[in-house]
Amino acid sequence: MKSPMRLAKAEDVRAIGLAPAAEEERKPRLLAKLKELRGSMRSLAVMLDTCVKCGNCVRQCHSYLGTGDPLNAPPARADLMRKLYRRHFTLAGRLLGRITGAEDFDAQTLDAWLTYFYQCNECRRCAVFCPLGVDTAEVTIAGRHLLSELGMVPRFMQQVALNLQKTGNNMGIPKPALLDSVEFLQCEMLEETGLAVKIPVDQAGSEILYIPSSADFFTNVDTIIGVAKMFHALGASWTISSAVLEAANFGLLFNDSAMRAHNRRMRQAAEELGAELVLQGECGHGWRAARLCTEAASGPVRFRLMHVLDYTARNLGRLALRRLSMRVALHDPCNYARAGDLIDEPRRILRACVEELVELAPNREETFCCGGGSGILMDEMMEIRLKLGKKKAEQIQAAGRIDYLAAGCSICKAQLPHVAAHYGMPDLAIGGVMDLVGKAMDMNRSTGGV
Amino acid sequence: MSYVDVNGKQIEVDEDGFICDPDLWNEEIVRCFARLEGVDELTDDHWKVIHYLRGYYRQFGIAPMIRKLCKETGFNLQRIYELFPSGPAKGACKLAGLPKPTGCV
Amino acid sequence: MFFFGYILPYAAAAVFVVGMVRRTWDWLSRPVPLPLTVSSVAGGRRARAAAVAKELVLFPSLYRGDRRLWLSAWLMHASLLVVLVGHTVGIAFAAQQFRYFGASKEASVWLSGAMGLLVGLVFTVALLTVLYRRAANVEVKRISGPDDYLALVLLLCVAASGLAMRYSAEVDLAEVRTYLAGLLVFRASPLPRAWLFLVHFAAVNALLLYFPFSKLVHLTGAFVGRSLLVQPPPVYPTPADGPTAAPLFSQGDRP
Repeated sequence: MKSPMRLAKAEDVRAIGLAPAAEEERKPRLLAKLKELRGSMRSLAVMLDTCVKCGNCVRQCHSYLGTGDPLNAPPARADLMRKLYRRHFTLAGRLLGRITGAEDFDAQTLDAWLTYFYQCNECRRCAVFCPLGVDTAEVTIAGRHLLSELGMVPRFMQQVALNLQKTGNNMGIPKPALLDSVEFLQCEMLEETGLAVKIPVDQAGSEILYIPSSADFFTNVDTIIGVAKMFHALGASWTISSAVLEAANFGLLFNDSAMRAHNRRMRQAAEELGAELVLQGECGHGWRAARLCTEAASGPVRFRLMHVLDYTARNLGRLALRRLSMRVALHDPCNYARAGDLIDEPRRILRACVEELVELAPNREETFCCGGGSGILMDEMMEIRLKLGKKKAEQIQAAGRIDYLAAGCSICKAQLPHVAAHYGMPDLAIGGVMDLVGKAMDMNRSTGGV
Repeated sequence: MSYVDVNGKQIEVDEDGFICDPDLWNEEIVRCFARLEGVDELTDDHWKVIHYLRGYYRQFGIAPMIRKLCKETGFNLQRIYELFPSGPAKGACKLAGLPKPTGCV
Repeated sequence: MFFFGYILPYAAAAVFVVGMVRRTWDWLSRPVPLPLTVSSVAGGRRARAAAVAKELVLFPSLYRGDRRLWLSAWLMHASLLVVLVGHTVGIAFAAQQFRYFGASKEASVWLSGAMGLLVGLVFTVALLTVLYRRAANVEVKRISGPDDYLALVLLLCVAASGLAMRYSAEVDLAEVRTYLAGLLVFRASPLPRAWLFLVHFAAVNALLLYFPFSKLVHLTGAFVGRSLLVQPPPVYPTPADGPTAAPLFSQGDRP
C-alpha cells in the first residue's frame, strides 16, 4: 500500500539544506548512509541484530492494532530496514541471502519505508514490552533520517522546517504577530482577573526562559494563559523568546541536523537572555529532544533544564488553587511517559486542580499514543491518523463520562479532537494540563515571591 | 501543482487547495473557493471573518489566534464552524487567501 | 572422523567465542550519541544493573504482554541454563555430585539422570511450544523467517538427541567423559562411537557455528539493548567538560 503522504518537492527540500538524490543515486547513497548510521548509533546496530521475533510487541502496537496492516507490526516494520542491513552488512546475509532474511534494495524499498516509517508514531511502547530492549522507534527514526538524506521529506515536515529557519517556530509566527498576540492575551487576562498578568517577550536578565509550543499562540491559548498566571502567582522572573517560540523539535523525527539546529536555538536564546533555567512547555517529543539531546547537540550548557509540569508540581504548595468541579481524565503523552520521566507530575497537578481525576487504562509507561505522535499530523493522512488513534479512543470511551481530557502535548491536542469526533465523542473538551492550573488558580490569593 | 479555474483564469493552488500566491487573492476567488469548500452562500458574516483574516494577514503575515478571531468578529468558535465547515484554519483561512497554518494544529 | 572428533569441536568453540566477543565488542564500541532512555531508574549504576538483571532473569515484559509466551520462553531459557550447568557438573563428577550431599553412589547416579531427564523434557516441551506458536499464531508466523525456524530446529535436534541418549545402552558416560576431558587438555582421547552421541555432538557443534551469525546473539545483545533503555539522562547544567556528541551523519550540520 502506498502512503497518501505528500512529499516535499526537490527545490523545497533544498531550501531546508538537504540534498535530493537522483533516482540512480538513491541506492548507493542509502547504503552509504546506512553504513554510517550503524557505525554512529549503537542502538541501531544492536536492535537490528538481536530481535528474536518473539512477537510480544505485535499486539502492543496501536498502529498495528488500529490499521490491521501486517507491515505495521513493529518487527515487520523494522525488517524493512533489517533485510537491507542483513544483505549488505552481515556475513550470513551476504553469503546465504534470503534464508537469513536478507533482501536487496528494489523498486519498492523506498515506498515501503516512507509508508511504514511514517505510520510508526515513534511512541516506543514496543520497547517497554520487549525483553531484549529493542526499541523499534530507533529503527524507524533512523529510517526517516535516512530518507531525509535522500531528500525524501514529508511536505509537512519541510514546511515546519522552513518556518523554523525563518522564525524559530513551527507555525512561522513573526515577532510583530507574537507581540500582538501577547498583548491580546494580556488584555484577556486583565479582563478575567483584574490583574496585570504579563507575558514578557525577549526580556534580558530573566531567570527563566520559557519555551512554549507555537500552537499555544494559535489554538491552545489556555495553556500559555495557565503558565503566565502561574508565573505571576509565583512572582517569577521569566520571559519567552521570539527567536525560539517552539518547544517542538521535529528534527528529532526526520533529520538529525535539523534537530541539532533547533536545539542550538534554545541554547543561544538562553545565553543571550542570560536565563539560568530553561523551562520547556507542553510538547511531548520536544521534551524528549530537550532532555535527552541537548547535551549532545548543544552541550555543554550552563542553564538548568526542566519541564513546566515538573516546575509546577514542585511549586504546587505556593499556588492558591481551588479544585474545579470536573471529572478529568489524564492522557499520558508517549514522550512524557517513555522518555521524559513525567508520570507523577501531571497527576499531582491535576489532583490539586480538579475534583476527580480518572485514569485511562493502560496508562503511565504503558500508555497508548494519540495517533498523531512524531508529527503524523498531515491532513492527507487523516484516514490513517484516525486508525492510529483507535486504541486511544477505546481507552477514552472506557473511562465513562468525563468533562475534560488533559493531554499535555501539542501534538496530542491537535490529534485528539479528530479522534474524539470520529469515534463518537464530538463534544469532549480536550486541552492541556496547564490550562486547568490557570482555571483553578485563585489569582487574588496568590502567595507571591519565589 | 494544481490550478483552480476562476472565471476562466487559472489560479495556482497547493495540494490542500490553498492559494499559492496570496497577492493574487480577490473576491472572485473567494466565491470559487467557497463552492469547493461546501459553502453555498457567502453571507455578510462570512465576509466579516474573511476580511478580518485578510487584514490581519496583510499586517502580520500570519493568521491571528483563533480566540482573537472570535473576539474581533464577535462569533464564537461554533459559529465559525457553521460558517466554514472545515474550521477556522482549513476553511476560513483558505477562503481568505492565507497560506495554510502548519505545525501542531 | 579425525576432523569431526578433533578439529570441528575446536573450530566451533572458537567461532562461537570469537564471534560473540567480536559482535558484542562491535556494539559496545559504537557511540550512543543520543540517549534513548525509556525509564529513569533512580539510584545510580547499581540500581540500573538491578533493573536490567530483573528483566533478563524474570522476563517481566513478556509477563505483562503475553503470559503463555512468558511461561514457555522463561522455561525454555531457564531449563537450558540448568541443562548446561547439569552437563558441566554431571560430566565433571561422573554423576557422583550428589554424594557430596550425602547420597549413595547409586542414588547420585539415579538423581543425576532423573534431573537431567526432567529438565531436558521441560526444555524440549518449551521448544516445541514456541515452535508451535511460531507456526500456528498467524501474527507471529507473519514476522517469522527461515532463520527463526532454523534456530529452533537446531536447538530441538540438540535436545532430542540428548534425551534419546538416556535410553541408549550404547552410550557410555565414562567414555564420553574421557573424550571431552581430552578435548579440554588438548590430548586426543578416543571419540565415542555411539551414533546418538555423535548426532548430539554434531548438533551442538552446528549450533555453536551458527550462533554468532544469527539472532541468537541476543545472548549478549539483551544486556546491551536493555541497558540502553535505562541509561541515565544527561544533567543540566552540563559539567564543564561535558560531551558534545558527533552528528549521526559525518558531513555534519548543515545550515
